Amino acid sequence: MRNIYIAFVLFLGSIQLQAQDDLLAMLEKEDAKQTNYSLATFKGSRLINGQTVETIAKQHLNFWISHRFGAINSGFIDNFLGLDEARIRLGLEYALTDRLLVGAGRSTIEKTYDSYVKYKVIRQSNKMPMTVTAYGSIASNTMKTGYTMESGTVMRFNNNLQRQTFMGQVLIARKFSDKLSLQVMPTVFHNNLAENVYMENTQAAMGFGGRYKLSNRLSLSAEYYYNLIEKDEYEEASGQKYPYHNSLAIGFDIETGGHVFQLHVTNSRGMIEKHFIGQTIGTWQNGDLFYGFNMARTFSFEPKIKK
Amino acid sequence: MRNLFIIALCLVGLSAKAQLFATQTGEVSFFSKTPMEDIDAVNKQVGSIINSATNEVAVQMRVTNFIFPNKLMQEHFNENYLETDKFPSSTFKGKIKEAIDLRVAGTYAVTAAGTATIHGVSRPVELKGTIVSTGKTLNMHCQFDIKLDEYKIDIPKIVFAKIAEVVKVKGSFQYNIR
Repeated sequence: MRNIYIAFVLFLGSIQLQAQDDLLAMLEKEDAKQTNYSLATFKGSRLINGQTVETIAKQHLNFWISHRFGAINSGFIDNFLGLDEARIRLGLEYALTDRLLVGAGRSTIEKTYDSYVKYKVIRQSNKMPMTVTAYGSIASNTMKTGYTMESGTVMRFNNNLQRQTFMGQVLIARKFSDKLSLQVMPTVFHNNLAENVYMENTQAAMGFGGRYKLSNRLSLSAEYYYNLIEKDEYEEASGQKYPYHNSLAIGFDIETGGHVFQLHVTNSRGMIEKHFIGQTIGTWQNGDLFYGFNMARTFSFEPKIKK
Repeated sequence: MRNLFIIALCLVGLSAKAQLFATQTGEVSFFSKTPMEDIDAVNKQVGSIINSATNEVAVQMRVTNFIFPNKLMQEHFNENYLETDKFPSSTFKGKIKEAIDLRVAGTYAVTAAGTATIHGVSRPVELKGTIVSTGKTLNMHCQFDIKLDEYKIDIPKIVFAKIAEVVKVKGSFQYNIR
């Protein structure tokens, strides 16, 4: 009888004890059932030259100002290490929903207009290991026909359709930790008019990129696009060296209030896929590097929440 | 005797279950007034449980569930200030000091003493509030101030003017018995 009594008291005690410790544990159990999406895999919707999986918040507008200065190896007297001149892209992008944005821009290079749509298909969460974003764009070259390209080729257009380039990309990224995010970007684009008969109209590329946060406001980013084109075949058929190279860029993202600054060095001067994947003239080995920056200013058109 | 014991156990089990008041849709909001702009945000997915037998209270919330009128602000709040990747949730665990039985309908002024964990920093706090009980439901309101530096929430000098050092926090919870 006495034993039972003791057991009973102990049992009561244990219930109380359990109830004490359990309140928070119970809440955490409930919480684990919810879907919690990862935030800010990347700071900006652009990594360096290319895009990231990020879209912007609904009814927000991003104004992008991007510069790529001249080659660092173009001489101090002649070109002030490249800073005498710049290729520019001005762009706007607007978010229709938290996952869908539309954008447009204009690049100095080949006086190109580009417009694009970006949609976040899958979002990384405690139930999903990665974010997947689809990105498609059209670029229109508005140079006068018969201009000379950087590669030396003289481009002649017979009609406006030949000026168009169509591009599609799937961006797959995972935020591995609060610091490290990595991304792969299989890409395909189609130039309606190729530079010469030996060059392929449709080119595929594989991109790799990532960022590492050095502090809350500063991160290191890198981006590499490997063009899958058969360069050997081109060289065999045309008897010339393939004029373009793969694009590699390394830079820093600096974030302040409503701005993201991206400072970087790259061997590409183009800021849209057709240019930096398909027409990168410079190489890192030769020091044909371009210093550049992207700057994004975000504006909110969201109505104030009613109190 | 044995039967009585079993019945007693069952009773204890039952009453232990019925002692809990819980919610998953509590609201916590904070407000900070500065010369530049007012910053306010609300989290409507706050979980909380009150054990009316012991008068213990627990509150748990995901920091990412705070909704700001400005999304950029929301991202900065999570990324730079509260560092939600490292510290995803804020919690409070404590006990109501007054000797009251919340299962009896009435309005009670309460003081809960316990530990608040915000931004990974745990501190002893005392929250004051009121609870209106109908016997089956509880309605709790509370208000308290958080000093940012006490929780090691680091505000850079340049944006200092934008964010007040003391933030007013309000809680509103509608509990159901469970």
